[in-house]
Amino acid sequence: MPNPSDPKIKQDGDFELIQAINAGHTELFTELVSRYERKLYNFGMRMCRDVQDAEDVLQDTFLNVFKYLKDFRYETKFKNWLYRIATSTCLKKRRKSRFAPDRELSLDEFLPKEEAEIPVQTPAWASLPLDQLLNEELSSIIKEGILSLPENYRLVLVLRDIEGFSTAETAQVLGLTPENIKVRLHRARLFLREKLKDYFSHDA
Amino acid sequence: MTHDSSHTACLELFEKLSEYLDDELDEQICQQIEAHAGNCVACKTCLETLRQTIALCHAMKQNETPVPANFSDRWKECIQKMASEAADAHQS
Repeated sequence: MPNPSDPKIKQDGDFELIQAINAGHTELFTELVSRYERKLYNFGMRMCRDVQDAEDVLQDTFLNVFKYLKDFRYETKFKNWLYRIATSTCLKKRRKSRFAPDRELSLDEFLPKEEAEIPVQTPAWASLPLDQLLNEELSSIIKEGILSLPENYRLVLVLRDIEGFSTAETAQVLGLTPENIKVRLHRARLFLREKLKDYFSHDA
Repeated sequence: MTHDSSHTACLELFEKLSEYLDDELDEQICQQIEAHAGNCVACKTCLETLRQTIALCHAMKQNETPVPANFSDRWKECIQKMASEAADAHQS
């Protein structure tokens, strides 16, 4: 049984609901679904591109949560455990894409290669307020950029920079070391920055 | 990246940009990075464009789409049925 005085448990807003479900009030499971349904659906969309896949990720994740919730021992927050299941569901679901093949990203590929690439001043888009910058067109450029990342990098970027998990939490969700998360995150961000640079240089 | 004397400093900074922006570095390294970026347009540009890339990703969080209603209704019905069957089994 989890110890309710454990700080990890105290901070988890889902603890009481999960205790109630596991005590036999399984009808409350729909409340748990309502709390995370939208987040997980959007996570599925960011990872898989496709509406059908995102629906499957949502459904399969909650079916697994329903099946294994009684075994959940609060070694981590419920949300971290939930995303661990969702991540593994995404990986099972993945469809090999010719646009985002699995490969390693090297730091070298993001370094300026020619003198001409070295800027003489910081580009305007770097300092514009987000509300002036982020329109529908740019949103779809970012979405496409994220989807074209190799999956191992996409997962880290989505968990860290969109879902808002910390480095330590992301490491826990993905079963990797924090150092590994930092390396992948940096390369994923540089990859996306290149997409944005291209977009804004064409726009200029 | 600009000239040979600062090339090593540029490469070191380039590797650490994300950790710097995530506030995951020691104070001393942060100061070195700030001092270097203050004098190197290329590195300053890398830093600021990466900062903006991250800010744009954070802003995408607000850009959520609702779960399609027909799917949500259908599968929630399944979940409810499953949950009430489990509740019955728990009571018996």
